[in-house]
Amino acid sequence: MTICNSMKKFDLYDLKQTVNQRGVLISFAGPFTHGIIEELGQAVTRYLEAQALTKASLMDVFSVFIEQAQNVRNYAAKRGDDSNSELDFNSGIVTIGRSGPHHVVCSGNFLMRCDVEPLTARLNQLHSLGPKELKTLYKQQLREQRNPGEGGGLGLIDMSRKSVLPLEYEVRELDQNYCFFSLCATV
Amino acid sequence: MDSLFLEKTKSSPAIAFNSNSGILEMSGESYPENSYEFYKPILLWVSRFCAHFPGEIVFNCRISYLNTGSTKSMMDIFDLFEDRFRRGLQVQVNWYCDSENERAVENAEEFMEDVSFPFVIQPLIAQQ
Repeated sequence: MTICNSMKKFDLYDLKQTVNQRGVLISFAGPFTHGIIEELGQAVTRYLEAQALTKASLMDVFSVFIEQAQNVRNYAAKRGDDSNSELDFNSGIVTIGRSGPHHVVCSGNFLMRCDVEPLTARLNQLHSLGPKELKTLYKQQLREQRNPGEGGGLGLIDMSRKSVLPLEYEVRELDQNYCFFSLCATV
Repeated sequence: MDSLFLEKTKSSPAIAFNSNSGILEMSGESYPENSYEFYKPILLWVSRFCAHFPGEIVFNCRISYLNTGSTKSMMDIFDLFEDRFRRGLQVQVNWYCDSENERAVENAEEFMEDVSFPFVIQPLIAQQ
């Protein structure tokens, strides 16, 4: 490895500032292996335990965090093989931040363009449902036959039930094939 | 029929299902990489056991967290218990949870709503 003349290449100040300005307390960007999700899960639990949170809030933040991380991982597992892309679907980002009395748990990952529409349609549908309807839908989906490896639908409903605001999302179009998808829950 | 034992990992629970006593114990957290694959052999075991065991089955569950995939599999286990109960055979679930954690209690109550066999929410005694 060569020593770089310009130290600026390693200067993470701007990155750290961006993270701070957004109120992010914890972030992870990189490949989502199951082992990493487990380690992050433990780290997040320890971090939250050190905060003055109720046990119920801690559980909500943790569960939304795990559902998001596993959704990114499951999507990568599904799409990773059948794409010629040089994009690494497994590489994503998760953040936990604070907004007033709530925690904001977000994830971001690359999606194939063809997968965006069904996902946003599903999220828009969930936006229109109240707590009782979400519960009914959740229970319905619990009883449905599943295809191995799929489970994202139930995760989105579960996150919607825990989020005090509707699940927010942003889609950034990268080119004709790919988008970057950000999902945010406030718990 | 053999008992079923699985070691706990960071993301999967310890399983101790005793085929002699009919006492089935589960503890830990459940968010395995693939919950469907993880629970497949467990469901198969429970299904066979429910069919042949004549005595009372007692399921003691001390799971502090279930992801949605694991929740679905837990519901599948309860469906097997429900079938057994409706055939006139005994089964009881003791669901241990922290009574100070209202979310954990709510989750337990949601399971309870969907079953007719004895399902008791038990307070978790702190253990270290």
